[in-house]
Amino acid sequence: MSVQLLTSSLAILLQGLVTTVLLSVAAIAGGTLVGLVAAVLRSFGPWGTSRVAKVYIELFRGTPVLITLMFIYFGVSYFGYAIDVFAAGAIGLSIYQGAYIAEIFRSGIEAVPKGQWEVSQILGLSRPQTFAFVVLPQTGKIVLPPLVGQYLSLIKDTSIVSMIGMSELMHGGQAIVDRIGRPVEIYGLVALIYFVVCFPVSQWVRHHDRRRLS
Amino acid sequence: MTDPIQVKPIISLSGVSKSFGATHVLKEINLDVNPGEVVVLIGASGSGKSTVLRIMAGLETTDSGQVWVNEVPLHEARRAKEIRGHVGMVFQQFNLFPHKSALGNVTLALIKARRMSPAEARDRAMQALERVGLADRAQHYPSQLSGGQQQRVAIARALAVEPGIMFFDEATSALDPELVGEVTQVMRSLARDGMTMVVVTHEMGFARQTADRVVFMDKGVIAEQGEPEQLFVNPANERTRQFLHRVLDH
Repeated sequence: MSVQLLTSSLAILLQGLVTTVLLSVAAIAGGTLVGLVAAVLRSFGPWGTSRVAKVYIELFRGTPVLITLMFIYFGVSYFGYAIDVFAAGAIGLSIYQGAYIAEIFRSGIEAVPKGQWEVSQILGLSRPQTFAFVVLPQTGKIVLPPLVGQYLSLIKDTSIVSMIGMSELMHGGQAIVDRIGRPVEIYGLVALIYFVVCFPVSQWVRHHDRRRLS
Repeated sequence: MTDPIQVKPIISLSGVSKSFGATHVLKEINLDVNPGEVVVLIGASGSGKSTVLRIMAGLETTDSGQVWVNEVPLHEARRAKEIRGHVGMVFQQFNLFPHKSALGNVTLALIKARRMSPAEARDRAMQALERVGLADRAQHYPSQLSGGQQQRVAIARALAVEPGIMFFDEATSALDPELVGEVTQVMRSLARDGMTMVVVTHEMGFARQTADRVVFMDKGVIAEQGEPEQLFVNPANERTRQFLHRVLDH
C-alpha cells in the first residue's frame, strides 16, 4: 500500500470519526430530551398523552432502527421536501433511542419511594415541583449507569446511518475497502476506533458506579 | 379551652368508612380532636389507625363520611388540596430528601411552596433545627446522620411550615431502641407547647405520659377511648385489656 493511499485512507477515517462523534452528541441530546418527555407523559400525563407515549415507546422498541431512518430520510422527500442526511440521522436516532431512554427514566422515576411524593404533598409542594426538585434529582443517580449504557449503544447505532448515505466512520471504512480491499484489516481498524471511543465511557461509569455504591 | 363543649374541634371525622379492595379498613369512624389536644391512637397492626391518620393528613380519600381538618372539607375532592402546607406529618421511614442537607430538607418547601427568600427560609429553618437540637448538623446529609437525628430533622422540616396540626405515624418504630428517647423527647416538648397532635405509636410509655386522650382501635372501629390513666389502668373493653396485656407484658 502506498504512503499516499494510507494517509488519504486515514484522513477519510478521521473525517468519518468526527461526523460519528457529532452525530452521537446530537442524537444523545435529542434522545435524552425525547426520552425524558415521553417518560414524564407516560408516568404523569393525562390519560390521552400517557397512552400516546406508551404507543410511541412500544412502536420504536419493536421496529428496527434502519426502518426508522429510512422512513424519515425517504419519507420527507416523498412529500417533496429535502432533508439533510445528518439531520435525518440525528432525528431518526433521537426518536428511536428516545423510546429506550424513556423506559430507563420511567424505571428511575418509579424507583423513588412513594413516601417522597407524600411528604412533599404535605409540605405544600405541587406535583411538578415535587418532580423537579425532589424526584428528578434522585432519579439522576439511579438512571446514570443504564443511561450511559444506552448512549454507548447509540454511538454504535450511528454506523447504521451509513445505510442512508451518511459519510461517518463506518461509511468511511466501506469507501476504503471499495478502493483497496483488505476488508478484515480495515473493518478491524474501524471496530477498534469505535472501541476506543466507547471503552473510556463505560470505564468511567463503572468507576462512578463503584464509588456510588461504596 | 377548659370547657370541651365550647371548643370547636380542629379535626372532625364523622361516619368515615374506607375499603382497600374487599378489605373494610375503617367502619363508620367518628372522632373529634380539639385544638391543643394530644390524641394517641393505639391498636394492633391492621386495626386501621394509620389509615385514620393518613385520611386526616389528606393522603387517603374516604369512601363515605365527612372529614374536616383545619376547616377544610377533605371529603370534597375539589377542596382537599387546601390542607397542603397547613399540617405536618412525620413518617416511620423519615422520608428525608437524600440529596439535600438537613438545612436543604427544611428550606425546600419554604422556598418553593411558600416563596420565601433563601435568607428568610434559612433563618426559619435554623430556628426549626435549633428546636430539635440539631442546629450543629445543618450541613449534614441524611446518610451522615443517625436514625434519631434523621427523624428530628424530619420533625424540624414539618414544623418549619408552621402547621396547625402535627401527625406522627409510628415515628419511632424504625429506630434502634436507644434512639427512641431523643425523638419522643422532642414530641413531648411539642405537646407541652400546645401543639395539636395525633400520634400513632407503639410506645405505650409515651401514650400514657403525654396523651390527653388515648384511642384504642380494633378491626376498623374505635373500640374504646379515654384518658390514659383510665384506659391503661382500668380498660372497659375486653379487647383493649387483651391488647394492653400483649404489648405491656413482654
